[in-house]
Amino acid sequence: MSRREWWVPYAFLLPAIVGLVIFRVVPTIYAIGRSFYAISFGLNPATVFVGSDNYTALFSDPTFWQSVRVTAVFNLIINPLQTTLALLLALLVSMRLRGIGVFRSIFFIPISISITVASIIWQLMLDPQSGLLNGLIEAVGLPPQSFLTSPNQALPSIILIASWIGVGYWMFFFIAGLNGIPPTLYEAAAMDGASSFASFVHITVPLLRRVIAFVLVADTTANFLLFAPVYILTHGGPQGSTDLLMYEAYNSDFVGLDVGRATAITTVLLASLLVVVGAQLLLLRSSER
Amino acid sequence: MSQESPRQTASTDARQTKPLRRWVRRNGGPIAGKALAYLALTVLSVVTLLPLLWSVASSFTPLNDIYKFAVPFSWHALLPTNVTLQAYQDLWASTYPRALFNTVLVCAVTVVAGILINSLAGFAFAVFNFPGKRVLFILVLITFLVPFEVLALPLFVIINTLHLDNSYQALILPALANGIVVFLFRQFFIDTPRELLEAARIDGLGWFGVYVRIVIPISTPVMVSAGLVLFLSQWQAFFWPLLVTNSPSYQMVQVALSTFSGQYVTKWNDIFAGSIIATIVPLVLLLTLQRYYVRTIARTGLTD
Repeated sequence: MSRREWWVPYAFLLPAIVGLVIFRVVPTIYAIGRSFYAISFGLNPATVFVGSDNYTALFSDPTFWQSVRVTAVFNLIINPLQTTLALLLALLVSMRLRGIGVFRSIFFIPISISITVASIIWQLMLDPQSGLLNGLIEAVGLPPQSFLTSPNQALPSIILIASWIGVGYWMFFFIAGLNGIPPTLYEAAAMDGASSFASFVHITVPLLRRVIAFVLVADTTANFLLFAPVYILTHGGPQGSTDLLMYEAYNSDFVGLDVGRATAITTVLLASLLVVVGAQLLLLRSSER
Repeated sequence: MSQESPRQTASTDARQTKPLRRWVRRNGGPIAGKALAYLALTVLSVVTLLPLLWSVASSFTPLNDIYKFAVPFSWHALLPTNVTLQAYQDLWASTYPRALFNTVLVCAVTVVAGILINSLAGFAFAVFNFPGKRVLFILVLITFLVPFEVLALPLFVIINTLHLDNSYQALILPALANGIVVFLFRQFFIDTPRELLEAARIDGLGWFGVYVRIVIPISTPVMVSAGLVLFLSQWQAFFWPLLVTNSPSYQMVQVALSTFSGQYVTKWNDIFAGSIIATIVPLVLLLTLQRYYVRTIARTGLTD
């Protein structure tokens, strides 16, 4: 590239960078900035600077803390669960078995199912009166369950729904990782008399560390911002038992008409997202040594 | 070779025992393992497929039959006896076709414009060295790691203040520049032989000419994968379209479906039919292009 052409790379980058700045950087700055403002009431409603008032109000609100608790419990269960199941499923479909291609295709299907469709289908599956699941449960002689209408079962139901499509999706990242492990390593281990469990612990897991880290981080960021099932199925209830933070933020804006609170929650989400992602990366990097 | 000898003695030993026991000793472990694997695979397949089978069957079933055969459970819940297209006719008469049209339009524009914009950026990151490259690439990586959804609410407040909501632009523009897609293109272009580019430059092509004549023709696999990512991001989009549209003229398919299931709570056959249509389109595309998806997109987890 000659000196006269210094502008060429910038011209190639321009559309994408402009898009990222307008639709990613600007909203980030706006969210942080707007969280320090509130609408003043009175004759001429105006947006006024209120300092940390939105945060003070938020941090003294039990609804917010309930939402934080639900989000934390939800993520502490669903992310390890989905990552582990996806890895086990990938190992299973990587076995040399007759007809394994059919099974792979079956587990591929959920990728084309959106979380919205999954929520809607499972809403009917889990319907306490006429849902298929209670039909099957009663057919084996067990009492029917209340699922999404019970404060104890609603969050586990949402975990089930999100995992129904999530596990198959993440499985494909592990399959790609497993394909990258040279088979000679397993052959050598088998010759040395290593059991298949031993070669899983000493070959598969260490060599998949990067993929595991990637899946764990990407899965966490997705589940941290889960919204559709709560909006469609439970509206945060019963008794706030499924009130994930994303829904709480949406609710503050659309139902509470409080943009200050909504952007304050968004800022909290953004900050915790960066902490979670950073901590996971550090953790997995340090265990590499 | 010395490793082989114990195995050989074992099999000579086995030859003296009864054939069945010998066969079990040789194959018993793997057979039990295989049986267990098939069992697990079957159970998981049933869990994956059962809700879908019920959805497909119910979408062709008269409404009363759905309730009747689910609880108490009957096989007719999965194999309809009175097949009807009523649900699909109901959908045809609703606002659903309009939502499908909107979604196809938004997807098409996003895929074409998104491939262009992100491949140009990916090419620049892969081929050129320039001041500010690191900073800009970090920006791309962060947008790759932090999902758009967290910024949807503040962006909506901005768009709403500017009265740009309820428009195709509001649905399309935020989805065009995509960190993952830039990253996919960069990983692909980084392996392009430099001699190829230099040769074209000597032949008098400008850099944009090189991109159009040399780079585009060799990058079909990554374009297909990138197109899939962009297509899925719009076809499955829910939160952003929900925020930014409230008029049926601009409604997208996932939002239409959720509105539908909220309004016609009892019309299960219609809800199922809508879900099937919303799933069949990406399913056909993904199954056709499965190998691109698995090879390229799943491999983003391997590189960083």
